[in-house]
Amino acid sequence: MVELRNVSVTYSNGVDALHDVSLRINDGEFAFVVGESGAGKSTLIKLLLKEITPTSGRITVNGFNLEKLKKSKAHKLRRTIGFVFQDFKLINTMNVYDNVAFVLRSIDAPIKYIRNRVPYVISLVGLKDRAKSYPTELSGGEQQRVALARALVNDPQLIIADEPTGNLDPKTSLEIVELLKGINECGTTVMMVTHEHELVRHFGGRTITIKDGRITFDDYIG
Amino acid sequence: MKLSSMNYLFGQGMKNIWTNRIMSVASFCILSVSLLLIGFTMLFVANINRFVSGVENKNEVVIFLDDDVDSVMASAMENTIRNIHNVESVTFYSKDEALEDMKKSMESDNADQLFSYVGEENPLPDAFRIRIADIEEISPTLMDINRLDGIDSIKSPTDFINILTGLKRFIGIVSAVILLALILVSLVIISNAARASVDIRKREIAIMKLVGATNTFIKVPFFVEGMFLGALAGIFASAVTCIGYSELIKVLSQDMTIWSIMSVNGFIPMSEFVVRLVIGYAAAGMIISAFGTVMSTRKYLKV
Repeated sequence: MVELRNVSVTYSNGVDALHDVSLRINDGEFAFVVGESGAGKSTLIKLLLKEITPTSGRITVNGFNLEKLKKSKAHKLRRTIGFVFQDFKLINTMNVYDNVAFVLRSIDAPIKYIRNRVPYVISLVGLKDRAKSYPTELSGGEQQRVALARALVNDPQLIIADEPTGNLDPKTSLEIVELLKGINECGTTVMMVTHEHELVRHFGGRTITIKDGRITFDDYIG
Repeated sequence: MKLSSMNYLFGQGMKNIWTNRIMSVASFCILSVSLLLIGFTMLFVANINRFVSGVENKNEVVIFLDDDVDSVMASAMENTIRNIHNVESVTFYSKDEALEDMKKSMESDNADQLFSYVGEENPLPDAFRIRIADIEEISPTLMDINRLDGIDSIKSPTDFINILTGLKRFIGIVSAVILLALILVSLVIISNAARASVDIRKREIAIMKLVGATNTFIKVPFFVEGMFLGALAGIFASAVTCIGYSELIKVLSQDMTIWSIMSVNGFIPMSEFVVRLVIGYAAAGMIISAFGTVMSTRKYLKV
């Protein structure tokens, strides 16, 4: 569950990135967050990851009160969230298997569990035969699938996808959102940030629009 | 942290050395050169100090006695001198011994004929050979000795000792300054190399943080990498120093001037320092490299 109450963010250069934003995404929901560049979408994600702290307001993510959570303990919060980014954020010196397994290794998961879970998740995103490949050997769509597998492997409560289709062609974009929808149907909350209105119209569902740091629309479409 | 995780992180550290091999080679070279510079400077300074100490140890004050000093009086004087502060040893050197030594030192065929002119009368005086414990305190000791009766004259290398003592102090200060500067410069260069090595992996670190890895989990492979490269550089620098030093001594020993200067105490033999050298180099390499690398990751861990 994600909840923001009267959250404002003003950067040190005086820019008001978010202004009095209140928002709640319940467990098991799929929500699109839509907005143009500079609307405040990235600031919203940085807040949820505890990369930055709000100037005012309260944020709760997966039961963590971010106001009280120390920066040094941010890893505890991040372990409950799966991330998918526009630029994939894969480690190029690790192959597909190791990129996905890294999440489990970092939480001291048993080797046996890693050996079973990682191939399973890789096959879920359709990359069973590419487990030994390195990110640079994969297409954009395949890289995003690896990122999805990495986000999924830890069985997170929430997946945040930041412009996951930004670098992909329309066909692959549809496939990725289909995958995210499938993950959501299994009970994981998904928050997908995008500026592609057509994609949102195609899938429909809860849509939150941010403009100039304020929420201007929050309803179900389609 | 589980043993399996430690194994994984250790393996990652070793793998990173190969994956980032250009930066690894650069770090290795910088570390090795820094260690070699510091090591050779220390050996040079140690050899100079050894030479100066060797010359110092040769210090000897000779006290020539008046002709009217008999054996009883000489014995009393010997006891008095032995009790003077800073006197290490006193040896009576009779005029007969002096004459014999003089004959031996004159390796001429005509020596016997020359000394036959001297006749039965030995013109040389009796003397005491005195060794001083602390050469820097020689002046007050000589003043105490000079107060004794029966002394004809004193031969002491006071001026030479003063120059030598000053030289030793000067070398001590200069070498300390040079070594300190070298160590500081090396630390700056090594930490810059470590920073550069970490810098190209800042994206990797940021991703690891975002997927929930702890700072320790991210730092351990960097630490392992730094330790291994540091140890490798230490061993390499030890080998180069040992081979270079022994070759250098061989070459220098062929030069008679240098040989005669250093023959007072000789060069420091390699067996005297080789163990300390290898341990010192490896430890310094590992500590500087590992901590330099880990410290460089800090700013990227604040994600």
